[in-house]
Amino acid sequence: MTAKKKRTPVVDNDSWVVIAADCAINTQVCDSESTFIKLRNPSTDAASLYMLSAGEELYEVKAFEEDFHSWFVGQTVQRDGRLLFVTPMDPLFLILPYLSKSGKEGKFQPVDQIVMDEDFPACPRLMTCTRSLSSLHHIAEEKEVGELKFHRYSQEKTMIWLQKKVERTVVALKNKGISVGEGVKSTTYVRVKLESDYQEEDYLRYAHGLISEYISEDLSKALLKHLQLPELTSPKETEPPSKKRKLSDKPVEAGEDYTKFNSSDFARKPPKKMTAAQKSLAKVDRTGMKPMSSFFSPKAKAENK
Amino acid sequence: MDLSPFEADNSVSCRLSSQIPDVCKTEDCCLGIDEAGRGPVLGPMVYGICFCPVSKKEDLKNLKVADSKTLSEDERENLFQKLDESSSYVGWALQILSPNTISTSMLQRTKYNLNALSHDTAIGLVQYALDSGVQLKEVYVDTVGPAEKYEEKLSQRFPGITVTVRPKADSLFPIVSAASICAKVARDRVVKGWKFTEDLGEVDTDYGSGYPNDPKTKAWLLKYLDPVFGYPQFVRFSWSTAQTLMDSKAVSINWDDEEEDGEKSARKQKNKSMLSYFSAANGSDDQNHQTHRFFTDRKLKSPCTL
Repeated sequence: MTAKKKRTPVVDNDSWVVIAADCAINTQVCDSESTFIKLRNPSTDAASLYMLSAGEELYEVKAFEEDFHSWFVGQTVQRDGRLLFVTPMDPLFLILPYLSKSGKEGKFQPVDQIVMDEDFPACPRLMTCTRSLSSLHHIAEEKEVGELKFHRYSQEKTMIWLQKKVERTVVALKNKGISVGEGVKSTTYVRVKLESDYQEEDYLRYAHGLISEYISEDLSKALLKHLQLPELTSPKETEPPSKKRKLSDKPVEAGEDYTKFNSSDFARKPPKKMTAAQKSLAKVDRTGMKPMSSFFSPKAKAENK
Repeated sequence: MDLSPFEADNSVSCRLSSQIPDVCKTEDCCLGIDEAGRGPVLGPMVYGICFCPVSKKEDLKNLKVADSKTLSEDERENLFQKLDESSSYVGWALQILSPNTISTSMLQRTKYNLNALSHDTAIGLVQYALDSGVQLKEVYVDTVGPAEKYEEKLSQRFPGITVTVRPKADSLFPIVSAASICAKVARDRVVKGWKFTEDLGEVDTDYGSGYPNDPKTKAWLLKYLDPVFGYPQFVRFSWSTAQTLMDSKAVSINWDDEEEDGEKSARKQKNKSMLSYFSAANGSDDQNHQTHRFFTDRKLKSPCTL
């Protein structure tokens, strides 16, 4: 009916729609302003956007992005329907990868030597965040020599710290009534099942998944072990068991007694007469030929790959 | 004809009607249906019914009502005046479908086409006459789409009434001519006195006939095209004339129920494009890191730029 529309490329905006706490953008605290900074995302290892408030608090930036959305702002149109969220963030998550990397050397080091990144010049500012220095002991051992403090990464401490994070997340998930069951694929699909019916493991696994968004893959795996949750290797495990699987190791017993057919009065019927076509087929030399069913068995499938 | 109920809100569908003559409630009646303003890109489409006792058919003929298209505007106004004066035995009712109603019906997610809209409006008016106590026995309709199908649809809907659907019914049956005059007069008045809900300042009302092929109408459509909003509600957005102009001159707007083709839509439907099987990278970038479903469910991403 009409010609196909061409999408014009999204150009950079000079304004955004943001939801942020007052304290994140409050410029009354001191002269400096809140600034957006790029830092290394501990989970993806790529750049992500964060915000440092005037009060040196760290915030992460999340963007709600869905196709076919736009804003009407006052008398203007904003073509990206993005909604930015500026939410508080524990700086330890961002410091952790640097500390863990230097921890491989096994030495106590001053933090300003550890938290450095050529790709992200803003990175040292992480250490000036209000809670950074005082909470480093959660993930590192400390040594004080005179005025100077030295730190060394501790996996044990980190695991304990992360476990606490997971437990707190579980509490938050329960309070917010978030559906965590494996079967739930959509947040808008609400089960009739009561909340209490969810297994504790469902919550733990979900919370672990959430925390894993803030740590490296290796740490995520270590944490899974630490939480004693079995690793889900493939989506197969969530599938219903295949019909062929044995339900128990006990020997299979017949549910019915078939021996009655073995009695003498149960004479075997003579084989049915074959049609001419069947007869000629039966005479065909079949050596080396596979039965048709072999092409559909799972074994054959695996060979194909 | 009092148009004020429609003028109070010209974005919706509105029904206007005359008093029901008392004879129509006791004697067998015939009813004619016709419409005005089906083709224009501007203004409302008006559906009209006229009814009178079968015995008064001759009186109606004497009024010399004829197909509204053969009459000048003044003649139509005069005839409508005469019809209104004959209110002792002639009744009428109108359904004004605003251009906005037409646009939103035709462009909604589940498309509601103009024929269906027309049929339903006609049915609604006949039902109105029945509900008002008019003793309907015969209904005459100018056809919309295939006459036979329409006749069958109406006959089934109104058992016990003889329904006659004919092309050019407005020149064959005086009662249909009368209905067409009512509809045409109402449409003319509405278009002439259109009050724009939009703040357009002094509006140039020289929009011609409103038909897509009228150069005046085309010029007007070009003049009042807003790059973001398109047109005032006076324009039927669903008309290809309006759509073509908006596609070429206005900002492009994408809706999620629009059909798309190519790579992007394939990805959206979680289908793999054939090409992806041949490329070396195989999209491994995407699979490296799978965001937790808490975030993907809520369409939350970690942006790296503002």
